[in-house]
Amino acid sequence: MSNILEIQNLTKNFRGLKAVNNVSFTVEEGCITGMIGSNGAGKTTVFNMISGVLVPSDGKIIYKGQDITGTKAHKYSGMGIARTFQIMKPLRNMTVLENVISGAMFGRKVLKNAKEAREYAEEILQFTGMYEKKDLYPMDMGTPFKKRLEVARALATDPDLLLLDEVMAGLNPTETDEAVELFRKINDQGTTILLIEHVMRAVTNLCKKVVVMHHGEKITEGTPEEVMNDPYVIEIYLGKEDD
Amino acid sequence: MKHLSIRHILIALLIIVLAIVPAFVTTTYVMGIFVTTFYVGCCTLAWSILGGLTGQISLGHAGFMGLGSYISAILLNNMGISPWISMIIAFVFVGLLTAVLLSPCFVLTGPYFTLVTIAFTEAFRNLFTNWEYAGSGQGILVPIDNDSIFSMRWISKVPYYYIALIMVIVFYLILRIIDRSKLGYAFKTIREDEDTAHAVGINSFKYKFIATFLSAGLIAVVGVFYVNYIGYINPDIFKNANSLDYVMPAIIGGIGSIVGPLLGAGILTPLSEWLNAALSQIAGLNLVVYAAIVIVVILFQPNGIMGWFTHSKLRKKINNSFDNIDRKLFKKE
Repeated sequence: MSNILEIQNLTKNFRGLKAVNNVSFTVEEGCITGMIGSNGAGKTTVFNMISGVLVPSDGKIIYKGQDITGTKAHKYSGMGIARTFQIMKPLRNMTVLENVISGAMFGRKVLKNAKEAREYAEEILQFTGMYEKKDLYPMDMGTPFKKRLEVARALATDPDLLLLDEVMAGLNPTETDEAVELFRKINDQGTTILLIEHVMRAVTNLCKKVVVMHHGEKITEGTPEEVMNDPYVIEIYLGKEDD
Repeated sequence: MKHLSIRHILIALLIIVLAIVPAFVTTTYVMGIFVTTFYVGCCTLAWSILGGLTGQISLGHAGFMGLGSYISAILLNNMGISPWISMIIAFVFVGLLTAVLLSPCFVLTGPYFTLVTIAFTEAFRNLFTNWEYAGSGQGILVPIDNDSIFSMRWISKVPYYYIALIMVIVFYLILRIIDRSKLGYAFKTIREDEDTAHAVGINSFKYKFIATFLSAGLIAVVGVFYVNYIGYINPDIFKNANSLDYVMPAIIGGIGSIVGPLLGAGILTPLSEWLNAALSQIAGLNLVVYAAIVIVVILFQPNGIMGWFTHSKLRKKINNSFDNIDRKLFKKE
């Protein structure tokens, strides 16, 4: 399978601080790739560069063979890239259905009118298991459903590549399993997923490949088993044994 | 919503009642209050496109309205162009001018954008105060004619009443169409969260430009009506206090809804007129009471009347009873 996304030597400086330093990795089409690392490792910064919120200081982002580095954020959904935010950003004064409609209307899906957008959004809500909540306002729902709403809205733009930023943080084990099931379902429909996650249970369950970041640099990548047995990764997560 | 329902009948009844009001109200004073209420309602609706739907709080709308008024007065006095045509000219010209001049400031959010709109209006107030062609500080008197449709001139207030009423209805319909269209979703998504708007593919600059164009253009149309109704225009129209008059009804009625601003205008304008008349013994007392009422509403209902109503049980009850009536009345459909 070919690579849908190639990250080449990506670097981001905030003034003197190097948040991301020379990071390269690839995302294989049709797979789920994970990105892990401790807080402040630069994962979200990488995400923000891939989705156009930040412009990289150096390096290239190649999507489907095209250099998309520095493209404006609002053009990404048209190219088939959708994202969620780590800090949930529901549209507060709009119902769940309206939240998803706004994703559907401005995404890649060609919809003739508002009615079609509504029908398509209802389909997405069925698919993500939120149809019963469609008339609620986001603040009337708990965290799991708010997170799910973020995913539903991103999914409504009909993406080829879905970027999920810690959508399972704060969920209990049952809720995590439900979320894992949903992402597998999304992936089965042909959507490539790149996710940032701390919940290892989800990462090992879902990801074919895992990229590990630490202090702004990529330290290793491989299958979840390989990565979790890597001595350096163990050292970062659990600390070094005293001799 | 192709079926006839009790809601449609009630709205139609309201319009009919408003349409026959002039037959029963003969005092000019009361008619004046009606006309003011209508055009303030229009201003609030126009403001709502930018402030309510798109979330860019402007305190410069008195300025956009003033520009419309001046355009109409100058075109009528100097070139003999009918106010009806000025309405179109004002809509396009003021809309474009405002959108272009404000466009560099679209990256500003919250109070910073608001400050720019205040500065915008102040700049135009100074310009018109010193611009001789536009009558400087004395302003422009619109020529007093006999009754004529061409120059929107009548002795009686009744024709103005109908123009203002039609304007409210048209503005309301425009906002309703926008609210439910793709445009409306773009506006509202930008209002709620600009990052999310970008993430789903909304070009916030483009839609803020459109919102500013429509909002400023529409209030300029009200400005054309205003100058021909009052018969006189001076730079006082650019005063910031006037902008507040158009924002206040939206806040009281509920920012973001469409019925809210209208409701707010319908309550606040007559209230302030009534207080003015009832408490005239002590100068300024009416303003104190008015301010107190506004403060109380904002304290206890920060989301405005419609903000409370949307989430209330009362709404469910009303909806249910309407549905029941519908079922009984229109069984066949």
